[in-house]
Amino acid sequence: MADTSISSVAQGSLFGEADALGYTTPVVYDEMVDGRGRLRPHWQTFMGSLGGLDPGRMAERWEEARRLLHQNGVTFNIYGDPQGMERPWPLDMLPLVIPPEEWQTIAAGLAQRARLLNAVLADVYGPQTLVRDGALPPALVFADPGFRRAVHGVPVPGGTHLHFYAADLARAADGRWWVMSDRTQAPSGSGYALENRAVLTRVLPDSFRVCRVERLAPFFADFRETLASLAPRGGTGRIVLLTPGPYNETYFEHVYLARHLGITLVEGADLTVRDRRVWLKTLSGLEPVDVILRRLDDDFADPLALRVDSSLGVAGLAEAVRAGTVAVANALGSGLLESLSFRPFLDGLNERLFGEELILPHVATWWCGQEAECAHVLEHLDELVIAPAFRSLPFDPVHGHTLSVAQRDDLAARIRRSPWAFVAHQPPGLSTAPVWEGDHLQPRPLVLRVFLCATPDGGYTAMPGGLTRVCAEPGRLIVSMQHGGGSKDTWVLSSSRRVEPMAHRAVPDARPLRAATGDLPSRVADGLFWLGRYAERAEGCVRLLRGAYGRVTDGNQPGAPEELRVLLHMMAPLGVIPWELTRMATSRGLDSALRAAVFDESHPNSLRANVLRLHRAGYSVRDRLSLDLWRVISQLDRQSQTPARRIDAAALLLRLDDLMTSLAALAGLEQESMMRGHGWRFLDMGRRMERAVHMVSLVRCTRLASPEPPDADTEAASLEVLLELGESFMAYRERTLAGVDRGPVLDLLLPSEENPRALAFQLAALERHVAALPRGSGEASAAAIRLVAAARTALRGSEALHHPEALRTALDALGQTLPDLSNLLAHAYFSHAFARPA
Amino acid sequence: MRYRCRHVTRYDYGDDVPVSHHLVHLRPRPHPRQRVQSFALRVTPSTALTADHDDHFGNPVSYVAVQEPHRRLTIVAESEVEVSASPILDLEETPAWEDLVGAPGDAATVAQFAFNSTLVTATPNLADFARSSFGEGRPVAVAALDLMRRIHRDFTFDPTATTVTTPLAEVLQKRRGVCQDFAHLLVGGLRSMGLAARYVSGYLRTLPPPGQPRLVGADVSHAWVSVWCGGETWLDLCPTNGQIADRDYITVAWGRDYDDVSPVRGIIVGGAGHGLTVSVDVEPIED
Repeated sequence: MADTSISSVAQGSLFGEADALGYTTPVVYDEMVDGRGRLRPHWQTFMGSLGGLDPGRMAERWEEARRLLHQNGVTFNIYGDPQGMERPWPLDMLPLVIPPEEWQTIAAGLAQRARLLNAVLADVYGPQTLVRDGALPPALVFADPGFRRAVHGVPVPGGTHLHFYAADLARAADGRWWVMSDRTQAPSGSGYALENRAVLTRVLPDSFRVCRVERLAPFFADFRETLASLAPRGGTGRIVLLTPGPYNETYFEHVYLARHLGITLVEGADLTVRDRRVWLKTLSGLEPVDVILRRLDDDFADPLALRVDSSLGVAGLAEAVRAGTVAVANALGSGLLESLSFRPFLDGLNERLFGEELILPHVATWWCGQEAECAHVLEHLDELVIAPAFRSLPFDPVHGHTLSVAQRDDLAARIRRSPWAFVAHQPPGLSTAPVWEGDHLQPRPLVLRVFLCATPDGGYTAMPGGLTRVCAEPGRLIVSMQHGGGSKDTWVLSSSRRVEPMAHRAVPDARPLRAATGDLPSRVADGLFWLGRYAERAEGCVRLLRGAYGRVTDGNQPGAPEELRVLLHMMAPLGVIPWELTRMATSRGLDSALRAAVFDESHPNSLRANVLRLHRAGYSVRDRLSLDLWRVISQLDRQSQTPARRIDAAALLLRLDDLMTSLAALAGLEQESMMRGHGWRFLDMGRRMERAVHMVSLVRCTRLASPEPPDADTEAASLEVLLELGESFMAYRERTLAGVDRGPVLDLLLPSEENPRALAFQLAALERHVAALPRGSGEASAAAIRLVAAARTALRGSEALHHPEALRTALDALGQTLPDLSNLLAHAYFSHAFARPA
Repeated sequence: MRYRCRHVTRYDYGDDVPVSHHLVHLRPRPHPRQRVQSFALRVTPSTALTADHDDHFGNPVSYVAVQEPHRRLTIVAESEVEVSASPILDLEETPAWEDLVGAPGDAATVAQFAFNSTLVTATPNLADFARSSFGEGRPVAVAALDLMRRIHRDFTFDPTATTVTTPLAEVLQKRRGVCQDFAHLLVGGLRSMGLAARYVSGYLRTLPPPGQPRLVGADVSHAWVSVWCGGETWLDLCPTNGQIADRDYITVAWGRDYDDVSPVRGIIVGGAGHGLTVSVDVEPIED
C-alpha cells in the first residue's frame, strides 16, 4: 500500500485514506485523519504534494534530513548520561499541519494567557494585592521556593516580567487544544523549531511552497526588537544571551539563537558587575551590557542575592537590576508561574483582572492546599496525576493508578501532612500524528510547544509554528526529548493568499537576522588559544605515532631500527610511552604501548586524550566556529575512538593517516575560512606556541645538543626523523642535493623564517600577533613583546647552532621563554576569575 | 534604654581580591519598641561603593562593592538605638494555638513565616519534639514559652558543636549548638505545629546591669525568635537565655531564617583564602 499515490486516493475511496496509507484508523483524535479514516481537509494539499509515500524516496529524504542535521551540528545533551553529550537531534520528516482558523484560536488564547501570567507576576513582585485580597492563597507565593524575595519590589522596564513564554498544548478527544503546562522561566525549543524548519524546507521544498506555510523569521525579528527596546540607555544597547554553558541540555540552541539574533553568547564568568552595572569582559576591556536574554534559571543568576553556591551566575546582577542599569528577560523571579499550584486560580484571576474568560482551557487541576480540593484529590487518587505544587520540589509526577495500595496510602499520608505541596490533575488526552517508520506511517501521541514574545506595545505575539514532540513509542505517553522522543516541524497554514509584503518578512527562516557582534569575551579568546594548542599537540602526536608505526610495520627499511629508537626517545620524555620501552622493547610490549598512546582515554598524553581536549576546547567556543570547522572536529572525535574490532598495525597506520588529513583540514579551515580578528589571532597564537614548544622538545630529545655527540648512525637517524616530523623533507631536498647533514637540517628547522614548520617562523608569527593585540594591559603586552624578541635573539647566529653547546644554550633559553610567554598571555588576557562566597 | 552598638567585620585575604560584593544587614530595622537615633556604615577601603535599600521583610540592606584589588575589607557599623520596654502581654490571654494554625486573617505579612524556608523545614521529628508543649487549647504564648524553656533546659550552648551549615536535624539529635541553632530549632518547632515564627537577628548588651549575670551571646551577633500571637502581636523569645526578650535586646533584622538576614554575606571574585574577624560591642549610654 505504501506506494499508493495520495492524489488518486484523495479523489475518494470507499475505505477512507487511512487504509490506503496503511495507517490505522485512530482510537483517539488523530491530526491527519478523522474517525472514519478520512484525510482531514487541511492535510490534503500536503499529502498530495508528497506524490506518494514511496519508501525509496522517503528514505532518500530522510537521509538528506539526517545529513543536514548532522552538518549543522544540531544536538542536545542528556543529563546524567556520560554518553548523553551531543545526541543527534531526532526529526521526523512529516510536519504537524495546523489550519489557519485553528491557529488563530491558539495564538489568541496563548497571548491572552501570557498577558495574564505577566499581570500576576507584576502583582506578586509588586504590591501583592492579589494575595492581600484573597484572590491567591498566600502559600502559592510564600511557600514556593521559586518566589524570589531578592527582587520583590524591584521595578522592571515597562512593567514586563515575561518577555518570552511557551506553553505545551495537547489536543483532547474532543478536538480542542488544552494547555498542559506554562513555561515562564527560560523556555527552550524555539531554536530547535527554527532548525527543524530550515531542514524541512530543504528536504520538502515543493510541499513547503504549495502549502503556503507561515514563516518563522518575522517572529524572531519581533523578538529582537522587543529585546532592544528594553535597553535602559535606549538606542543601540548591547544584548547578550546568558547560557549556563556547554553542559546544559539545550546548549546547541543557545548557540543557534545567539547567532540567529545576532547577539553575543556569554557565560556568567564573562560578565562582571561594577558600579551597579553589568559589563562584558572582552579582550579590549569592559564593555557595558544593557539587556540579558537569560537561559539560566533565575536561582543561579546571582550568587550574592540568590543561590550562593551558584558558579554559573553573575555576582551583583540583582543589584544592577535594582539600579535599573540592565534589563533581564525574562525578569528574575518569572519562573514562579511554572508552578502548577497557580493553574486552578488562573480562570478566576483573568476574570478579575481583565473581565474575560480564558480562550484556551487548561487541564483540570486541584491544589491540595484547599480543604475541599484536597478531599477530592484523596478520594480520586486512582484517576489523577499527582504532581508537586511547586516547580522546584524534588519529586516526579505520578499516575495514581500505577501505585500499589501501600504506595497510595503513603502518598495520601504525605499529602495530608503538607497539602500545600501537592496538586493533582486529570491525565491529559493526547492526539496522534503520523510518524514515518521506515516503510509506513505510524500514529504517535504528540505535544505541541508554542512560543510567544512580548511586543514593545505591551502585547504578545505567537511564533506561527512550534516545536512538536512525539512519544518514543506508540503507546507511551511520556513526551520528552530526555526520554527518547522525536520532534516535528509545525506548519501553520497561511490564511492569506500572499506572503506579507513587508521587507523583513521575506527573510528566509534560516538566515541570521544580523551579523554577529565583534565582542570577544576573554573566555572565548582563552578557548580559541587552547583549541589551537591542542590541535597542534594532536598533530605532533599523530606524526610521532605515524613515524613509529611506519617503522614497526616495515622494519626492513634501511635505518628503520635506528629511527624507531630515536622516535621512542622522543615519545618517552613527552610522556607518550613509558620510559622502559626505550631500553628494551618486546614487539608485543611496544604494540600495546603504542595502541594505548593512540586510543587510551585515560592515558594523559595519548592522541585520544588530546583530541578530547581539543573537542572540549572547541565545544566551549562553538559559537565562534563555522559549521564546517565543527564538523571536522566531530570527525576527529570519531576517528580517534577505539575501533569496535581489533585492527592490525597496517589498518592503524591508515587510521592515523585519516586523522592527519582531518587535522590538516582543521588547520586549512582556520587559515582560509576565519576572519582575521582577535579570535583567529588567539587561535593561531595557540598553534604557533605549541608548534614552537614541540620543536624545541623534539630537538632536545635527540642527542644533537648533548655534550657527548651521537654516533654517525644515530645522528643520521635523528636528522631523518626531525625532517619527517617537521614535515620538511621536500623543503630539504629543494635546498640541498647532498645527503642529510646536521648543519642544513638544523638551519631549515630552527632559524629559517621561510619554512612554516621552523621554530623562527613560529616566533616571527607570535611577534606579529602579540604586537597586534589590544593594549588593555600595557605592561603585559610590552613584556610579551620583549619575551618574543629574546626568543628570536636566542635563535640568531645560525653558526652557533652547529655547536652542540651553543644549541643547548639556545634550546634551554627557549624552553624557559615560551612557557613564560604563554603564562603571560593567560594572565593578561584570560584572567576570568570565578566568584565564590567570602 | 539607649545603646551605642558597634559591629566590626573584617576579612583578611591571602592574596589580592580584585572585586568583592557584599549584602549587609547591619542597620537596625524599624521596630515598634525601638528607635534608631543614628547609624553610620564605614567601609575600608574607603573607595568602596555602597547602595541602600529595604529588603522584602522591610529590613534595611546595604550593597557594598569593593572594586579595586584589596587584601583587607573592614565594615564598621555604628548605631545609637533606644529600646523601650515591651507592652505587657498577658500570656494566658493569647489565643489558643490551634486558632492560629495556618495564619488565618492576616495573610500576606504573617503567613510567610509559617512555611518552610531555606534553613528551616518543618519535619515530623520537629513536630514530635514540639508537641508536648502544645496541649489542647493552650494559649499560644504559653505553649511557645514552654517550648523555648525546654530548648533552654535540654540543649547545651557549645560553639564547637556546629557551624553555619549544620542542618537542623543534627542539632536536634546532638542537643548542642549556638544561638542561631536554638533560634532555628524554636522556629522549626513552631512551624511544625503550623504556627508563624520569625528569626530575629540582633544584639545583646555586652555588660549586664550591676548585680546581674552576663548573658550568653553578648560580644557577637545574637539571634532569637518572634512568634505570632494573633493580630499585631508578636512575642520575642530567646531560647539561648531562656527568657522573653526585653530591653537588653536590640533588633537588627528579621526574616524566615539566618539565610534571609545574615549580617554580612559576600562574594569575592578571584583572590585566595581568607580569615574573618567579627566583634560586637553594645554599651548603654548614660543620660
